[in-house]
Amino acid sequence: MTTLSINDFTTETTSTAPDRIMPQRAGSALWRPMFVMALMGFAVGFILSIVRAGQISAGGEPLQIAALGQYVSAAMFFGFAAVFAAISFAIAKILGEFRVGGGSVQEAAHSDVKTLKMPGTAKAFIILMAMAMMIILAAVVAHVVAGISIASGDWSATTAEQWTIWLEAARRFGVVLYLFAITFGLVTIAKVIRFQTFRIRQVADRV
Amino acid sequence: MAVTFNKLVIPASDDYRTVTDHSKAAIGVGVVGVVLGIIVAVISLTAASDVGSGGGDAARLLAVGFGLQTLSLVTLKVGIGVALIGILVRLWLRIEGVKVSLAALQPDDHGTGPAIGSIDTEYGAAVVTKSPPASLPVHRMARTMWFPMLVMGPMLVALGVVTSVVWANNIGTETGLGAAGWTQGLQFLGEGLVLAGISFLLGSILGSLREGGGAVQHALGLNVTTLKMPATAKAFVALMAVGLVVSMAQLGLYLYTLTFDTLAEITPWWAWLGPFRELGLALLLSGIVLALATIANVLGFQFSRIRSIVVTGE
Repeated sequence: MTTLSINDFTTETTSTAPDRIMPQRAGSALWRPMFVMALMGFAVGFILSIVRAGQISAGGEPLQIAALGQYVSAAMFFGFAAVFAAISFAIAKILGEFRVGGGSVQEAAHSDVKTLKMPGTAKAFIILMAMAMMIILAAVVAHVVAGISIASGDWSATTAEQWTIWLEAARRFGVVLYLFAITFGLVTIAKVIRFQTFRIRQVADRV
Repeated sequence: MAVTFNKLVIPASDDYRTVTDHSKAAIGVGVVGVVLGIIVAVISLTAASDVGSGGGDAARLLAVGFGLQTLSLVTLKVGIGVALIGILVRLWLRIEGVKVSLAALQPDDHGTGPAIGSIDTEYGAAVVTKSPPASLPVHRMARTMWFPMLVMGPMLVALGVVTSVVWANNIGTETGLGAAGWTQGLQFLGEGLVLAGISFLLGSILGSLREGGGAVQHALGLNVTTLKMPATAKAFVALMAVGLVVSMAQLGLYLYTLTFDTLAEITPWWAWLGPFRELGLALLLSGIVLALATIANVLGFQFSRIRSIVVTGE
C-alpha cells in the first residue's frame, strides 16, 4: 500500500496564521448573493414558462411564443450559472476555513505555521469555474438578443432554430465545465484534509 | 447491504499516511463526462448546420444528443460523488489524528469545559452535553440513502439513453413522441436521484463532523460542545426533499401527457414541463449550496474548539 510523508506536500511557512486568499474571501462574501440570484432566476424562468404555455394553449402569436422560449432559457440558465457559482464559492469558503483554522491551531501550539501552497487542482478549479461562468452568461445574453430579434421579426425561422441549437449546446457545455470545476474543488478539499492530518500529528510529535 | 456500502466511506486502513485513489478516480470519471459533453457539442453543431442546409437529420441528431448530454452530466455528478466519498474517508482519518494530537497538545491542568446546557457561540447556538451526542435521524438516513441514489440515478439515465435512440429513430411518429416523453422524464429523475445522492453524502459529512467532534472532546475528558442544527441545514433538508418530489412528479406528468390524444394537447404541457424538470434539479442544487455553507460553518466552529483546547485545555 502506497504511503505519503509530510515532505510530499509543497508548503509555505509563516510565523502567524495566514489570512484567506482572495478567491476564499470572494467565496465567503459571494456565496449568499449568488444563492439568492439563483432562486430569483429559477422563479422568473418557471413563471415565464407558464405564461408561454398559456400563450400556446390560447393560440398566441408564434413569434412572441418563440421569443418567450428564449427568455425562459435565459432566466433558467442565469439561475444555473448563479447556483453553480454559489456552490463554487461555498467550496472556496470551506477551503478558507481550513486555511485560517489550520493556521490558527498551529499558531496556538506555538509552532511555525505551515500552509499548503495552492495545489494544481485548486488552480484548475478556479480556471474551469471562470470559463464555465463566462460561457453560460454569454449564452444567457445571446438568448435575450435572440428573443428580441425573433420578436421583432428580424430573424427567419431557420436562423432562430440554428441559434437555439447553438446556444443550447453552449450553455450545456458550460454546465459540463462547471461540474468538472466543482470536482477539482472537492479534490482540493480532500488534499487539504490529508495535509492537515499530517501536520497536526507533526506539531504534536514535537511537543 | 447498508453495512457493505458504508465500508466505502470508512478508511480501509487506520494509517493516515495511506494514499487513496478517490481523487484520481473522481477526476477520471469527470474526464469521461467532459469527453461525452464534447461529443454532444459536436452533435449539436452538426444539427445546427443541418438546419441551415435544409437537411432532415437535425431532429434525429438532437434526440440522441439529448440522451447523451444527460449521460454526460450524470457521469460528472458521479465523479463529484466519488470526490465526496474521498473527503469522508479523509475526515475519519483526520478525527483519529486530531484525537491523538490534542491529547499531546492539551495543557495538563484543565477543567471539563463549558457547563452543561445551551450556549451561544460565534458560529451559532450550541449545546453542551456530558457525552457525545447521538447521530441525528437525518444523518442516519443520509448514510443509508446515498448509495441507492447514486446507483439508481445512472441506471435511469442509461435507460433514457436507450429511449432516446428509439425517439431518434421514430421522429414524427406516435412511438417517437412516447419515447421523447419517457427520455425526458426518466433522465431528469435520474439526474435528480444522483443530486440527492450527492446531498446525502454531504449530510454524511455533516454527520461525521458532528460525531467526530463529539468523540474528540469526550476522549479528552471534556464536556462535549456541539452546534445545534443551523437554519441553513434545515433549509438544505427542505430544498432537497422538495427537489426530489419535483423530480419524481415531472416523470409522472410526462407519462400523463402521453395519454393525451393530440400533439396540440401535449405541446403546452411540455412547454412548462421542461422548466419544471429543471426546477427540480435547481432546488436540489440550491440545497447543496446550503449544505456546503453549513459544512464551512461547522469547520469554523471546530477549529475554534481545537484552538481553545490547545490554549486553555478546555
